[in-house]
Amino acid sequence: MKIYKGLALLLCMLVLLTGCGSGAAQETTSKDQKMKVALLLSGPANDQGWNATALEGLKAAESKFGLETTYSENVGVADTESAYNDYAARGYDLIIGHGFQFGDPAVRVAQKFPELHFMATESNSQAENMASYVMSCEQGGYLMGILSASMSKTGKIGVIGGIEQPSIIKELEAFKLGAKKVNPNIVVYEIYVNSFTDVSAGKDAGLSMIDKGADVLYHVANQAGTGAIKAAEEKGVLACGNSYDQNSIAPNTVISSTVYNMPTVILTAVDAVKNGTFKGGITHLGMKEKVVDVSPYHSFESKIPEATKKLIEDTKQQIIDGTLTVPVIEKSTK
Amino acid sequence: MDSGFIALVTMYLVASVRMATPLILAGLGEAVSEKAGILNIGVEAIMLSGAFFSFIVAFFTGNLFLGLLTGIVGGVLVSMIHAVLSIHCKANQTIAGLALNFMVMGLTSFLFLIVFGQTTTIPSCTMFGDIKIPLLSSIPIIGPALFNQNVFVYLALIGIILTAIFFYKTEWGINLHAVGEHPQAANSAGLNVFAIRYFACFINGVLGGLGGASITLGQLGFFMENVTSGRGYIALVAVILGRRNPIGIFAAAMVIGFSQALQYNLQTLGFPIPTQVFTMFPYLVAVIVLFLSIGKSIDPSALGIPFERNKR
Repeated sequence: MKIYKGLALLLCMLVLLTGCGSGAAQETTSKDQKMKVALLLSGPANDQGWNATALEGLKAAESKFGLETTYSENVGVADTESAYNDYAARGYDLIIGHGFQFGDPAVRVAQKFPELHFMATESNSQAENMASYVMSCEQGGYLMGILSASMSKTGKIGVIGGIEQPSIIKELEAFKLGAKKVNPNIVVYEIYVNSFTDVSAGKDAGLSMIDKGADVLYHVANQAGTGAIKAAEEKGVLACGNSYDQNSIAPNTVISSTVYNMPTVILTAVDAVKNGTFKGGITHLGMKEKVVDVSPYHSFESKIPEATKKLIEDTKQQIIDGTLTVPVIEKSTK
Repeated sequence: MDSGFIALVTMYLVASVRMATPLILAGLGEAVSEKAGILNIGVEAIMLSGAFFSFIVAFFTGNLFLGLLTGIVGGVLVSMIHAVLSIHCKANQTIAGLALNFMVMGLTSFLFLIVFGQTTTIPSCTMFGDIKIPLLSSIPIIGPALFNQNVFVYLALIGIILTAIFFYKTEWGINLHAVGEHPQAANSAGLNVFAIRYFACFINGVLGGLGGASITLGQLGFFMENVTSGRGYIALVAVILGRRNPIGIFAAAMVIGFSQALQYNLQTLGFPIPTQVFTMFPYLVAVIVLFLSIGKSIDPSALGIPFERNKR
């Protein structure tokens, strides 16, 4: 009989772990008729990066418009459609999926609930009531390329990508273009670590670039990229951050970061739904809309040459004016 | 050989050792456990727990040594849950290990969230620095790789030697093998099978916890959800590849570490090999080795089988 006791215990544990692991939806309820917004995240909300900024956006929208909001963490690709379905059936007015992979399922569910609004970030899917909001991350990557190449003394810089997919590739490629604009002979090492979460892999990739002489690193790899910043800090070289101001991770290492202003993206979408102007289709949001930006230089303010600062400021202005368009290359050119 | 080539080889070796260290530590622990007949696939859980608790204590006390000890305690706690389940409750060891992996992943993420909340700043602690061993570290090529590293690398190296002696040169080692190969006979010979198995699980927890701590206190200086990202599973692969022999595990872990170091270097050189190929490399080798060992039983005979004193 002992084996059954063991099994029973195991079952209890299994129940427990699914409870912890999948991060059950959290809900804030209210009595009056508020607009209801749900957010789906592909990973943990506490990732100090991609998902954390999205949640920040949801909270900002909640306090600005007095919404009723909820979110689900760790929504796997296989569960995406049912997650949309679930929230739609419960009458959420706007359901946002944060990431490329949320696009297609959103379209399928959108057709079943024509009166509701669906949205996915970084996607290329669209329908009557389903919109894709694409952040022009390549604009940030381009500026970081300029900055990195200008700050490099060895003429070698490195960039670490997460998983090789269009939304990541376009930023790496733009980084390389930006770097080449400043110094046509610059050597840009690139590594895809095949993970957004493996910090050790990110660090090892960074170290291998530094070993080869790279003295400025950039990353587009969420948590894994944090490892690259740590590698730069340890070896006393410079780094650029990604997705939010990462200077706090290593104040004497991170020169600047690209910032994706997710709150603005979500506020824009909520605003459109409120005013009844929400349209299906693909919307690009970049520096002009203040969705993509570069962070302040912090302690590097005095260390970056004035000419470089001016070049970045000017290039940014050109992108905002529309006189310069950073090409979107979604296929790796290694 | 010109100096450029030597520098390159040295660089590869240093990187390989760095990546292999957590695998060696955890792999040695798992080997001890498996030799005693306890198959614990919860290595990932042990490592994650070690990584989490070592970081938390190092962060709040600022004392790395205390952090390291807590990391060991964290590893032992998890491995003892598995031990009680599989030795006392006679549960299915594979399922128990699997359940622990998921449970600890959820638990550490949850505790981390409770302690630090949802932030965009990363709480970090100091790390163990490199210790240069005089004379030995100036040996070309292997000097920098083996004798100018942090404390975890030395612990791993000492661990290899000690487990090898323990396995093959001591009476305890023979007892351990006996318990894993034929617990009934061991029992008849007057050995306490349960005690020896608990002891093996304890060692597994100590070494696995160290392996986890080596990631947070030796490599990163911070903790994140699922910071081990599958290294426990790769440690299992190293144990299979190395056939539970400490030297074999060292070699296997080095091959895995080397393939990772090679992957990054080939990428920076712009080789057009898909990165995914390298990610599957250690597993591919493991599958091939398992294929080659068809027909030859290399597992301890009682691996994964609970011992019941009154059964034949």
